[in-house]
Amino acid sequence: MLAEALEHLVRGIVDNPDDVTVEAKSNRRGEILEVRVHQDDLGRVIGRQGRTARALRTVVAALAEGEPVRVDVIDTDRRR
Amino acid sequence: MTSESTAVNASEGTEPEDESARQTPINRLEEEGDVAADYLEELLDIADIDGDIDIEVRNGRSYLSVVAEESAEGLDALVGQDGEVLEALQELTRLSVLASTGYRSRLVLDINGYRGERSTALQEIAENAVAEVKAGKGPVHLEPMSSYERKIVHDAVADLGFVSESEGEGAQRHIVVSAG
Repeated sequence: MLAEALEHLVRGIVDNPDDVTVEAKSNRRGEILEVRVHQDDLGRVIGRQGRTARALRTVVAALAEGEPVRVDVIDTDRRR
Repeated sequence: MTSESTAVNASEGTEPEDESARQTPINRLEEEGDVAADYLEELLDIADIDGDIDIEVRNGRSYLSVVAEESAEGLDALVGQDGEVLEALQELTRLSVLASTGYRSRLVLDINGYRGERSTALQEIAENAVAEVKAGKGPVHLEPMSSYERKIVHDAVADLGFVSESEGEGAQRHIVVSAG
């Protein structure tokens, strides 16, 4: 549910919603949601001084009902 | 979503007067409200949270309030401590309007009446109506209100030990306060 909710939240705020993917992984510390967006939308998802990314994390954390969850916005270009 | 708060539709299609030309046109605010409501409604669906979304356009802004139909618990999580989650969600909702319309939105989101900007005034309206009923004026009809505002008044009247019911349809739906 968290990955789906996050994907919806991100798709709604970008110019290229079809390029949004959220991958859920988990480690001992909890769930990790990796967000990938179109390179042109990276700024939108992170926002000024990380404001938008912070808002996404806040809402996802609220939906997680106390379970630890991390939201990572992945800059795909840099990883290539 | 309720279809009740459509009082503004009466002015739909009217051209803005010169003095109000700088204000955001009503139809654009309505579009903002619709886009924002879609964004929020799908989130509630995905998270399986029970909530009704009410859209209002007033004072040159769109106001969206999400209220619970039955249990308010799920929505409380979306308000968060000191409204932290509510602010985050409002921010994202504004960005969703920007992404789909290209306009920066100043919409105001409220959940479970947290903002309560108007709730103090509504409390007074409820108290005055109860005072009138006590004074023997019979059932008191209030001005039409949105479902969100009616809920606040219903609760206030019930707290005072009196009875309130909604009457009328659509934009005319209003509360009648009586001794029961």
